[in-house]
Amino acid sequence: MSRAGLSSLLPLAVAIPLAAAAISPLAARLSRRAPLVLSALALAATGGLLAVMAPTVYGGRILSHFMGHWLPIGGHALGIAFAADAWGITFALATAFLGLLLVVYTLSELGDLGRRELGGYSCLFLLLCAALIGAALTADLFNLFVWFEVAALASYALTAFFLERPIALEAAFKILVLTTIASFAIFIGAALIYADHGALNFGQIHRALAGHLRPADLVALALLIGGFATKAGLVPFHGWLPDAHTAAPGPISALFSGLMVNLGVVAIGRIVLDVYTPAVGHHVLGLLMVLGLISAVGGALFALFQDDLKRLLAYDTISQMGVLVVGLATATVGGVAGAGYHLIDHALFKALLFLCAGSIVHMTGATKLSEMGGFGRRSPLLAAAFTVGALAIAGIPPLNGYVSLGLIHDALRSTGQAVPFAVMLVAQVLTIAALGKATWQAFYRRLPAGVEHERDERLHPGMVVTLAVLATGCVAFGVFPTFVLDHLAAVAAGVLLHPAAYAHGVLAQGGAVPSMPVPFDYTYWSDILVVGCTVVAAVPVAMAGMRWAGTRPVVALRRVQTGSVNDYAAYLVVGLLTAVLVLAGTALR
Amino acid sequence: MIVVNYLAAAALFATGLYAVLTKRNLIKIVMGLSLMEGSTYLFLISLAYRAKSTAPVLLSPPGHLGPRALAHGNVADPVLQNFCLTAIVIGVAVTGVFLAVTVRIVQHYKTLDADRVRDLRG
Repeated sequence: MSRAGLSSLLPLAVAIPLAAAAISPLAARLSRRAPLVLSALALAATGGLLAVMAPTVYGGRILSHFMGHWLPIGGHALGIAFAADAWGITFALATAFLGLLLVVYTLSELGDLGRRELGGYSCLFLLLCAALIGAALTADLFNLFVWFEVAALASYALTAFFLERPIALEAAFKILVLTTIASFAIFIGAALIYADHGALNFGQIHRALAGHLRPADLVALALLIGGFATKAGLVPFHGWLPDAHTAAPGPISALFSGLMVNLGVVAIGRIVLDVYTPAVGHHVLGLLMVLGLISAVGGALFALFQDDLKRLLAYDTISQMGVLVVGLATATVGGVAGAGYHLIDHALFKALLFLCAGSIVHMTGATKLSEMGGFGRRSPLLAAAFTVGALAIAGIPPLNGYVSLGLIHDALRSTGQAVPFAVMLVAQVLTIAALGKATWQAFYRRLPAGVEHERDERLHPGMVVTLAVLATGCVAFGVFPTFVLDHLAAVAAGVLLHPAAYAHGVLAQGGAVPSMPVPFDYTYWSDILVVGCTVVAAVPVAMAGMRWAGTRPVVALRRVQTGSVNDYAAYLVVGLLTAVLVLAGTALR
Repeated sequence: MIVVNYLAAAALFATGLYAVLTKRNLIKIVMGLSLMEGSTYLFLISLAYRAKSTAPVLLSPPGHLGPRALAHGNVADPVLQNFCLTAIVIGVAVTGVFLAVTVRIVQHYKTLDADRVRDLRG
């Protein structure tokens, strides 16, 4: 198919899941499982459509389509543009295919719910997937805000969906308050940029900003970063994240953690690197680096002392988002390619781990690690899946985390950033310790005496298949890194590091982006040394984490996460103000 | 004076934020967020205004101006006004979800005090 023909298919990638979302409550009248089957079909169709475009896009082209053929005149865009580039389509593809797997899992685990529940569930699930794909493909700032809001609305309802647990309501209120404040920040940021430059198209904004950045532009940048950092759950914007993940059922947590929070990072990467160019001499990369490092260490530290398995995984999500942002903040080929790679990796292994946690709830009803044990003997498959996920996060070769973490670590070292590198190693040790602790407690120790489980179910075949596919994915992305690096990550890094080519591609309805070769040696001694040292160091840390869990310093630390929505909003506002002061302050001096 | 609009928007925003940060009553938190939302609309509408401009309505323009003259002349920026329309629609939906969740919280916990609805912490 010609490139123009391919581009004109772009809106379908959003239209298919949106239409299916509208139909699925009606489909529930046909049969109970019809909405979920419809969701699976819609996501498969979307994934297929994106896969048709993938070879062209990963070949270094940008496909761009203006809605309603409102083409730009003289570089001024009036219509809303959708542009498929390697960075966006990677996230869109991950959303479609991981979404499909999660629907299969849901069909298997929750297929016995009532008609209305399944209809509503499918509708919200598809709405969230459509919003994520839209946000990945759009090349228009206000359109990005709209997709952010669509994703937010769907996520509110999904958080509060399972009303038999009152904590779901509490979590829904917190995610509502924090995400609403974030949406104000993005809204005002977009309006400031438009008022200053009369542009909303990413390409056009990039060209308008290419000269001198005014303070208003930097305030807008700070607001956009703060808003999307809330979605990504970076510290101090993270208050909603652990609660929302704890309350939701397994597949929803996997959808939130594997895909939805990534929306924030995808948007930050796009805005900071493609729309604003970081070379203009302000502190945006430094700000991102600090945000990333605080999140990486803070999330892992809170994860270490958690007893609730899903909450532990949620804190680890904060940590992994920090790692992604650190990769972007290096603004080097290796770091950005590593971030792109880690995005896919995180979607795979975190979805796997959350589904494992959901499976444990399904089998036994246990949510706390202190009530778990001996599951390795009870379900070796589940134990194997969880172990693969934990080892992948730990970055142990040949699993996928090794490559992406190695790239980000190498990027920090090669740019001479010794302190961030050291902080990242600390975060890595804490992460390995937290997940090692969880794996050992749930699967490999004996069940603590006196613990009774409320039920004794078996895993359904669909659940097993999903876990197996995700675990295989974790292995495959680790075993064939050269293919992923050369054909996916290198092109995605090229898009983010060549903003002028991206801008041209969007405005001229198609263009080429140079791919950037990523230097990575699988057997580089220092990467393997890092893995060995962090794993060895994690053992005493994990033991300390278990022994000190009830001590006063740990209790004091955990009290920072007060559970009060007012406090979380205050953390967010402090973060926003700091971002504004850091960025705009440099311009005024 | 358009400056008054900006000051009013800032004051509204600050009032709303004060409510969100200090009030424990869930309804008051929702009201605070609605105030903040309203202030963003006022801010955007004020950004859209240019000195002595008319509304961006190109049908039956006032007095001697034809539609063509109006299109080339001084009208307020319709794009920012469109932003507001979109955001109002979204805002209504969000407020609806907000109040629905609040009602369910009251049914489950028998309280509106945010401080007594904090089982999830640490």
